Amino acid sequence: MLKLVDLVKAYRTEEVETTALNSVNIHVRDGEFVAIMGPSGCGKSSLLNIIGMLDTPSSGQYWFNGEDVSTYGERKLADIRKKNIGFIFQSFNLIDELTVFENVELALLYHDIPARERKERVKAALAKVNIGHRESHLPQQLSGGQQQRVAIARAVVAKPKMLLADEPTGNLDSANGDEVMRMLTDLNAEGTTIVMVTHSMPHAQYATRIINLFDGQVVAENLRAA
Amino acid sequence: MLKNYLMVAFRNLLKHKLYSAINIAGLAVGLATCVLILLFVRNETTHDRFFTDADRLYQVVIRAQLPGRQADNVAATMLPLAAALKESFPEIEKTARVVQSPTVFKRGDDSFSETVRLVDPDFFRMFDFPFLRGDRMTALDEPNGIVLTESMAKKYFKDSDPLGQTLEVDGAEPAKVTGVISDMPSDTHFDLEIIRPYAAGAAALRGLETNWGGICCETYLLLKPGADAAAINARLPAWIKTAAPTLNSPQGSINLGEIFTPRIRNVKDIHTDPVQSSMRPSTSYAEILTFAAVAVLVLAIASINFMNLATARATQRAREVSVRKVVGASRGQIIMQFIGESLMLTLIGLLLSIALVELALPAYSAFLDKELTFNLFTDPLLGPALLGLALVVGVAGGAYPAFFLSSFNPARVLKGASSGVGGGSGRLRMTLVVVQFAISIALMVATAVVYGQLLYAQNKNLGFDKENTVILSGFPRGADRERQQTLANSLAKLDGVASAAGTDVTPGDGNEINTNVRMPGADPNQLLVLRQATVDWDYVKTLGLQLVAGRDFDRSRPADQLIFPPQPAPGAAPPADNAERPVHSGSVILNEAAVKRLGFTSNEDALGKEFEAGGGASTLKLTIIGVIADFHFRSVHDPIAPAMFYVDNGSFSDMLVRIKGGDTQKTLAAVERVWRDMYPTRPMQREFLDTRIENLYVREAKTSQMFATFSGLAILIACLGLFGLASFTAERRTKEIGLRKVLGASVLDIVRLLVWQFSKPVLVANLIAWPAAWYFMDRWLNGFSFRIDLNPLLFVAAGGLALLIAWATVGLHAARVAQAKPVTALRYE
Repeated sequence: MLKLVDLVKAYRTEEVETTALNSVNIHVRDGEFVAIMGPSGCGKSSLLNIIGMLDTPSSGQYWFNGEDVSTYGERKLADIRKKNIGFIFQSFNLIDELTVFENVELALLYHDIPARERKERVKAALAKVNIGHRESHLPQQLSGGQQQRVAIARAVVAKPKMLLADEPTGNLDSANGDEVMRMLTDLNAEGTTIVMVTHSMPHAQYATRIINLFDGQVVAENLRAA
Repeated sequence: MLKNYLMVAFRNLLKHKLYSAINIAGLAVGLATCVLILLFVRNETTHDRFFTDADRLYQVVIRAQLPGRQADNVAATMLPLAAALKESFPEIEKTARVVQSPTVFKRGDDSFSETVRLVDPDFFRMFDFPFLRGDRMTALDEPNGIVLTESMAKKYFKDSDPLGQTLEVDGAEPAKVTGVISDMPSDTHFDLEIIRPYAAGAAALRGLETNWGGICCETYLLLKPGADAAAINARLPAWIKTAAPTLNSPQGSINLGEIFTPRIRNVKDIHTDPVQSSMRPSTSYAEILTFAAVAVLVLAIASINFMNLATARATQRAREVSVRKVVGASRGQIIMQFIGESLMLTLIGLLLSIALVELALPAYSAFLDKELTFNLFTDPLLGPALLGLALVVGVAGGAYPAFFLSSFNPARVLKGASSGVGGGSGRLRMTLVVVQFAISIALMVATAVVYGQLLYAQNKNLGFDKENTVILSGFPRGADRERQQTLANSLAKLDGVASAAGTDVTPGDGNEINTNVRMPGADPNQLLVLRQATVDWDYVKTLGLQLVAGRDFDRSRPADQLIFPPQPAPGAAPPADNAERPVHSGSVILNEAAVKRLGFTSNEDALGKEFEAGGGASTLKLTIIGVIADFHFRSVHDPIAPAMFYVDNGSFSDMLVRIKGGDTQKTLAAVERVWRDMYPTRPMQREFLDTRIENLYVREAKTSQMFATFSGLAILIACLGLFGLASFTAERRTKEIGLRKVLGASVLDIVRLLVWQFSKPVLVANLIAWPAAWYFMDRWLNGFSFRIDLNPLLFVAAGGLALLIAWATVGLHAARVAQAKPVTALRYE
């Protein structure tokens, strides 16, 4: 699915240069569930942003489905992202002005899918995360766990090949966190590749592989038996 | 997708009511102001287009360059010009002259003084005014015919059909109504109410028919199709030198072709080419452009509001933009979304502005005395023009926020609250506020200067006392001087009257008579021309003129009066150039400009000196007995002409009556009784001198009022924007404000903090506004012969006022935010 080769990400300000990622080499195969762990500031989010094509590397290669996308421009990246990647965030990032249904539907609006099919797919996605009964509510009327379920529905409704989750349980209590992890596991079981950044060891245990980052470098990879 | 955009836009609109209200109100007021100004501009720039042959219809303008005077442009010519032009220029198809002729009409026992326009027979064949009754092509064929406007027809014939009816004319044959036309529309320069064939008044004009020095009529031309007006204009200066005769007199020779240069201008251009005219007042392109500029500035201020508020709210939209990007929206799609939102707001603003325009239009039209129309259904251009306007404003206002908002880095925005939103836009917002306030301050200064100049013109010491002076007119043509003298004496004896004096020259009228003079021993080739005025013994006293040297005319000194022999009969041949001219002696009073023009070293130096002046068929030998301070014959826009005043035995056109304070109505009634005793068949026409002077500035007064109103609206819109911006800033700084309060800041400290933040751009705005306003207003004032100086305090005051307005706008808001409990603020994040 994706392969990072000698990937470097450096941030420059007027006075200092900070290297967020230093010569990272990672290979994620189709259908894997990878958890990325490490202390704050180790480069987890930078790595996820590059994998999600929300940011570009300073040097190195990023192979995605056999293409080196590290030199692609914003327009091309947006297109690949749209077709292949779904996102889940720690802070849910639902749009306050849209209902649950509309928030999920948003992910299909940029895909030229007819209204009828959109409706069916949104309803199916909402049913999958058990939130169908709240489809006409606004985000602020839902609990954190419910909001994250909506965010998951939004992330999967366009049927992406890969799901990127940035601390998806960080803002949730343990019951809701476990629920979200079970959903991700189910999705992985259905064939979706998942890359998840997390601080939580118990939740990392749901993954098939754990990559540990420290100071912008991969320091350990633990393959877990599923 | 569009549905989604509309939904989000609409819900945002409802969610942020203050923001929406400020934007929509600002846009609505801005667009309405713009539309009202543009309606005015359209009316002003489309005069006289309704004539079928408008493209071929021209008017002759004369540039009069009298020696020692600034050149004057008048939309009037001499009577013989039309025929001479037609003979020399084969491109001319038809000509028509228009001459003003005061006439008294009678109906039963009532008499009415009216201004009749005598016109050549082709007039209505050239200008196709719609005829309600009668035939346009033949209406002027009968010499006793008369064409009335609808209002005039109603005045004399009520509801009966006027066609074929007769109107009694004082001292002439009755007139027969041969046509009724609609009242003059507001988009023509013509000021016609009663039109008669030239033949009906030809007798009185006989003396002027061959006179190339008497500027007394409008001349209109219809050019043949394809004729080149520019080519005619190129030939006219040389042509007039040969066509106009040279006048030889003992005071020197004058080639009238050197003094008067004609040019022709298309009727469609008359209204925007201001020259002196007996028709309706015209405007200038500079004035129209000024208003158009105000329209653009007002819209700019409204658009800036939109830009500012949209970018200020960027943090609130950042997450939405980022999520859209993450799920696949391209930057182009996001830009289109925000421009679309801006267009939606502008369209709502446009709908409201249409309502505002409809509400304001009746009063606005009445104020401007114009028939402005605003009808989306009958005016095919209006709808597209309005939509175009909304499109420009929507895109202009929405483009920057769209590019700004679409540039967010979704990774950073979605990770933390608003860290992906750059801070650079804050500087840009303040820059835009600076621009808004610079425009507002400059408009304030401009308004103050325009008003200042108007007040100055209205209140300037004109050199005479305009209060309590009544001008009587309506004397029969060729009135008897003795009877006029009796009238003046009788009036002077009335209790409420201080003095009375007849004259040919009252301040504020457009008439002037000039004559060439020669100083003894002066170079005979140097032409000296003075304006001449025949006045009554008590002229200086009645007008309150200031004698600065010598003495006034004195009844007890017969030598002070010029006695002319009776006028030759009308139609008598003028004396030959080389004929011996009789010499008449008398006394003369000069104004100071004439003292300078004649080359005297001082007013006293002029006293007792003699000079010669042309006096029609005779030569005048005049002795200077006094000098009066310069006074304004016309508005303060015109320079003061060198002039001489003498008493003769001819008749006057007007009588000036200075009344004492007290019961004015009683005095006026007594004045009218005396007039009726002397002229029982002539209605007395009465006008207060101060009213006449005020009327000279009516147009300017309206212009300044309009300017002030639109500037006020511009400032209002700018303040709306500032209020919105302050409210967002306060909201954004809620946590900071809370922390400051926890650390011990008082409410006043917080208010001061916020107020100061918004004072800075206003202060900086002065730096831009002052030099710009100074430059433009100085140029504007230079258009006046007599002008006010630009007072730096005015600029400071405008800046101070802007600051006060900004403080009031921001301060109220700041106080509210500052009074909130700090705990609320700290919980905010």
